Amino acid sequence: MDIFLQQLVNSLSVASVIILIGIGITLIFGLTGIINFAHGEFLMVGGMTTWLVVSNGGSFILGLVAAVLIVGLLGFVLERGLFRLTLDRPMNGFIISLGLIVVLQHVVIRFWNSYQKSIPEPLSGVWEIGGVRIIIMRAVVVLVTAIIVAITFFGISRSRYGLALRASVADQETASLMGVPVRRYVTGVFIYGSMLAGLGGALMIALFPITPFIGSSIVVRGFAVALIGGLGNVAGAVVAGLVLGLMDGLSAGYGLPEWTEAYSFALMILILLLRPHGLLGGTAGPRAV
Amino acid sequence: MTDTQIAVAAAPASRETTVKAAAADLTLVERLIMPTILIVVLLGLPWFNPGYRLLSLATSTGISTIALYGLAILVGQAGIMSVGHAALMGVGAYTGAILARDLGLNLWAAMPFAAIFSAGVAGLVGLPSLRVGGHHFVIITFAFCGLLTIVLTNGGVFTGGATGLDIGAITPLFGVNFGKLQNTYLLVACFVLASVLLTFWVMTSRYGRTLRSIRENEKLAAALGVDVNFHKIVAFMVSGAFAGVAGILQVYFLQHISPELFGAFPSVYIALMVMLGGPRMLYGPLAGALIVTFLPEVLRLDPIDARIAYGVGLIAVILLLPGGVMAGLASLYRTLRNQAVGR
Repeated sequence: MDIFLQQLVNSLSVASVIILIGIGITLIFGLTGIINFAHGEFLMVGGMTTWLVVSNGGSFILGLVAAVLIVGLLGFVLERGLFRLTLDRPMNGFIISLGLIVVLQHVVIRFWNSYQKSIPEPLSGVWEIGGVRIIIMRAVVVLVTAIIVAITFFGISRSRYGLALRASVADQETASLMGVPVRRYVTGVFIYGSMLAGLGGALMIALFPITPFIGSSIVVRGFAVALIGGLGNVAGAVVAGLVLGLMDGLSAGYGLPEWTEAYSFALMILILLLRPHGLLGGTAGPRAV
Repeated sequence: MTDTQIAVAAAPASRETTVKAAAADLTLVERLIMPTILIVVLLGLPWFNPGYRLLSLATSTGISTIALYGLAILVGQAGIMSVGHAALMGVGAYTGAILARDLGLNLWAAMPFAAIFSAGVAGLVGLPSLRVGGHHFVIITFAFCGLLTIVLTNGGVFTGGATGLDIGAITPLFGVNFGKLQNTYLLVACFVLASVLLTFWVMTSRYGRTLRSIRENEKLAAALGVDVNFHKIVAFMVSGAFAGVAGILQVYFLQHISPELFGAFPSVYIALMVMLGGPRMLYGPLAGALIVTFLPEVLRLDPIDARIAYGVGLIAVILLLPGGVMAGLASLYRTLRNQAVGR
């Protein structure tokens, strides 16, 4: 039982990173219909930024802030420079994101080689609660994610900006006729999603070493979370992220760790086939195409 | 039906007729230029003394070109994107390698099985997921690709695990020895020509028109009596068969395969090459493969710079020429020609 709790706590930290990615993807996809496969690469860039700052003598907090800001800026530039031009043809946006994967990955490899990077654990130490040993850094990751999720959730469901955002997701034309600056919301959501990816990258490198190739396995999980939870549905993304993260952690703890990734792929395929609109339901995406 | 839907339905029809009219304007000589160049260059390459490195590069490019044509039928004609095509190549390749090891089948005997198995797997993946819709399908193909890599890596003795499988050389056919690279190249070149011909047939046939009607407006096509689901699945299976043939040729060319050859990144590159060249153009996939393989050689870029240049070039092409390089060249030619004729 103790080992089970231990695994549960460990998997929560993995789930946190997946949830951060999934929220960004679910919002961007739900609002713009852009399948941004480079979102995993945004996380990689965030992790690498943190690594650069920390290995040049900066603190982890500084690295984390730098990762959030730089990836947010990256998202802003790419949305204004590239994705904005493909809003009426989402398939082209998708192809551009595939091109971006190639570019971002190889720019990082070009300047900082392809070996895995790690930073010293920013917070060492272990809490022991009733026989369950919790690594403090992991608890911090879960806590930060919980705060972000709460902010995002209440921002979307309670504030007037969230209301306008939901209106734009439901029907862009009507929303813009009602005076919602939809384009600005698209940019804003893209930046917010990118910043979450940057944060995810910073938190991830605090937990494990990462390589420039980490993006593809992360982005598949991010999309799995977004689709399983229902597109545009933040609560759904959190539930789905918990399910996938726990499955990852528990399968790694209980035998057959080499099949870990296979479980999440299989679960995702299964849910998509049985419940195409996700477990909790969501938008069908923008009606473009 | 709302006004917008009618407009959408009417637009492709007019576009199609303008393409037809423009094609009809070209004289017979003009229409024969490209096929002649293609056949002469493709089959004549070994007699230009290309050297071992270039010929081997051309062979591997030819093998991926076959898979690219399969994907081009799916993307260009049916309008369905897949980012799991390397996985379907992998099914063909492993079919070839396992049949050779366990049943002693050579390339010629195993090739039909490779094509059928890949098409079958495509059917299995497509049957439930194509129903669901565009975005979901793209992501499921990507997940399938990841899943297959894991299964191949954990397959133990049967799939050779992470190290993969080895295989013998191609059995001689009609006294032709494929131990010589030149002959292997010519074999691959014949398959490339066959893929171009098959794609040409699909594009000009009634079947191609059916697929394009689905691409332009799925609901309208269904309303006109087209069995949309059936045709989408068949199109995916056809493109899977191309990938299977490419896969088995690849395993015999490399004589060794391992799971990472068929993972997420090879799949992404296949999709990108098709989009770069132009998925709707007959020579688009070939152009995409040639640009990606030979431009870095010509410019003498190191592999990492080449990848960066490739990504940037692709993004530029998608923004400036959404139809791909070949569509851009074709419209440039038509403009120049019309100016020369004085219209």
